[in-house]
Amino acid sequence: MDRRSVLKKTGLVAGATVAMPTLLSLLQSCWNEPRLTWKPEFFTKEEATTIGTLVEMILPRTDTPGALDVKVDVFIDRVISQTYDQEGQQNIRNEITTFNNRCKEKFGTNFASLDVSERVEVLKAEEKSTGKFNPGIWGITIGDQEPIGFYRSMKSMAIWAYFTSEVIGEQVLSYDPIPGSYEPCKPLSEVGNRWSL
Amino acid sequence: MANFNIDAKKDMVYDAIVIGSGISGGWAAKELCEKGLKTLVLERGRIVEHVKDYPTMNLDPWDSELRGVLTPEQRKKHQVSIRSNWVSTDTAHFWADDEANPYTEVKPFLWLRAHQMGGRSLLWGKQTYRWCDLDFEANSKDGHGVDWPMRYKDIDPWYTYVEKYAGISGEPLGLPQLPDSHFLPPMKLNCVEKHVKSRIEKEFDGRHLIIGRCAHLTVPHNGRGQCQYRNRCSRGCPYGAYFSSNSVTLPAAHATGKLTIRPFSIVQSIIYDEAKGKATGVRIIDAETNEDIEYSAKVIFCNASTLSTTQILLNSKSNRFENGFGNDSGELGHNLMDHTYRVGAMGKVEGFDDKYYKGRRPNGIYIPRYWNIDDKTKNDKFLRGFGFQGGGYRGGNAANSENFGTDFKESILKPGPWEFFITGFAECLPYHDNQVSLNTDVLDKWGQPTLAIDSEFKENERAANKQIKEDAVEMLQKSGLKDIIGFDNEHPPGYAVHEMGTARMGLDPKTSVLNGFNQVHAAKNVFVTDGACMTSSSCVNPSLTYMAITARAANHAVSELKKMNL
Repeated sequence: MDRRSVLKKTGLVAGATVAMPTLLSLLQSCWNEPRLTWKPEFFTKEEATTIGTLVEMILPRTDTPGALDVKVDVFIDRVISQTYDQEGQQNIRNEITTFNNRCKEKFGTNFASLDVSERVEVLKAEEKSTGKFNPGIWGITIGDQEPIGFYRSMKSMAIWAYFTSEVIGEQVLSYDPIPGSYEPCKPLSEVGNRWSL
Repeated sequence: MANFNIDAKKDMVYDAIVIGSGISGGWAAKELCEKGLKTLVLERGRIVEHVKDYPTMNLDPWDSELRGVLTPEQRKKHQVSIRSNWVSTDTAHFWADDEANPYTEVKPFLWLRAHQMGGRSLLWGKQTYRWCDLDFEANSKDGHGVDWPMRYKDIDPWYTYVEKYAGISGEPLGLPQLPDSHFLPPMKLNCVEKHVKSRIEKEFDGRHLIIGRCAHLTVPHNGRGQCQYRNRCSRGCPYGAYFSSNSVTLPAAHATGKLTIRPFSIVQSIIYDEAKGKATGVRIIDAETNEDIEYSAKVIFCNASTLSTTQILLNSKSNRFENGFGNDSGELGHNLMDHTYRVGAMGKVEGFDDKYYKGRRPNGIYIPRYWNIDDKTKNDKFLRGFGFQGGGYRGGNAANSENFGTDFKESILKPGPWEFFITGFAECLPYHDNQVSLNTDVLDKWGQPTLAIDSEFKENERAANKQIKEDAVEMLQKSGLKDIIGFDNEHPPGYAVHEMGTARMGLDPKTSVLNGFNQVHAAKNVFVTDGACMTSSSCVNPSLTYMAITARAANHAVSELKKMNL
């Protein structure tokens, strides 16, 4: 199916951010290279598409919003643009290129252009090959931290951006800005999802 | 409460000047004002009024554009304090400008500063423990440092006095090595903490796991509201539920009508009058206009924080005091201490996956000292003792999972595994060569000499840390935890933010700077009642002791003034 005709039929045009899950899966099946619907501060269009595809693979839309629904990609771009120094920004740029090169070596094209099963294969390999975060207490990393690598750093950033987004923080996770008391041992079933704050 | 009187008078002799408005300065101001003294508090930073000047107190993460992440400019400005990992956009406005206030690390030392009304009392950890005679007698018994000129009985009533006013929550235990405070009801342990408590207390004779004792109100107290379990304390508490100068002592001082607090007042030196044999006032630099101004007073309280107080004293040179104010002993600047920290163990706890908690408790657990209390608990590997702080919570790091996609996303919406950790705080010995000195090669933004800090942990601290790690792992093992990791991050001094000493109290003017009531031996109308006065470091958090020592010294100052002795 032609991507443009699907977009026209569903009314899903640039700028629209809400689509029904069925429509999205319909699009995903034929829309190998998603079109960017926002203007990055730091990323090139290709980089932004890579990151957007990656974070949605990690945190896809289900009956709860996915990473792109809460603009995880937009936020990651903003954080890198406004808080990374030049060296950090260049590193990210290099790492995205390297990541896409690995995809090209294996499947002949960059990550965003792979079909879903190929993306899964790439991410499974990344999961095996990238380092893990040491535990931390009070903001302190315990022990000597091995290098994390691009994929898990981005996964961590995506989860953080997802959890700290307004929709997830207020409507999906358990939200209680002023608990008023400490109840030390509640049945989990009475709380449900993890606390957002 | 608002509208502090900030109109300081140059041509007036104040009854008292208090340098600094943090934890100890706030208490000095309150006590001196309430006893009728016209008091001028000199604060090097801006006014921070309770509630009104807490801009981030109600912000959720998504309310700020970068959700707490500092920009490169902010990281440059806070280049020292960010090493603590505690600085985010939620609190950056309460941390000092490190660029304007450089210091030199002859050896690595993290000096965390907060330059505004209230100082670090806005940011502190709020753990509050009494010292005991093991602490006050330690130097005398093992010969490190000099003897304290006071004992527990001297400070006991002052602990009670400040506790009743400040509001300290906790559980009485009756332990000699950790005397009970006058307590508000304790906060609660969660089920994992209770589990670990029962195991440790069963497996180890003489070890206790208790809820942290802390300066958080668990019931309304003296017109302040109780803790709402938001754990946003360091942004400033709209309920006034934790102790800070801003919410407690400075409003009390203001209410007497005797308080003037002058912001942007960097104290350059204390003025000594050789003919009178005492101090007559202080010189300040206005931080905004660079104007030099002198203020006069009958008594002066130094509460600028441990190292800033000593910096002022070192910079107060005269014919009488060529090497710094009151420095006849040569001990000014020496015997700097902190606690060791960031050594301990953590692990996962199974069997509680159907349990969770509600509320974000701004407090953890405490395991009081159990080594070197008596003959039975003597440990030959190190002198003195350590305690543990820690806690149990549902944590984990979802990014470490090797899954992604639909099931992964649903799984991380649920709370992670229960984890439990303890981290030790060990007493550090007072070493003469752990010291600070004035550095005229590096000047601050106002052209003033800065500090060079030359301090390190030594053999006894390393031996204590080794024991901490071993004990921590053993306690978690015997509590049945899984995936236990023992750690020693081997941080340099400063990270515990319990820097103490450098103008120590003592019985002998030849070996100490201050007497038993915190008066400079050679100029008795100058009092030092912040951390600089400490003669040893105990292993428990020092702030409660600063409060009690300050109230005691202020009482003495007023009594001596009335007797015309100052």
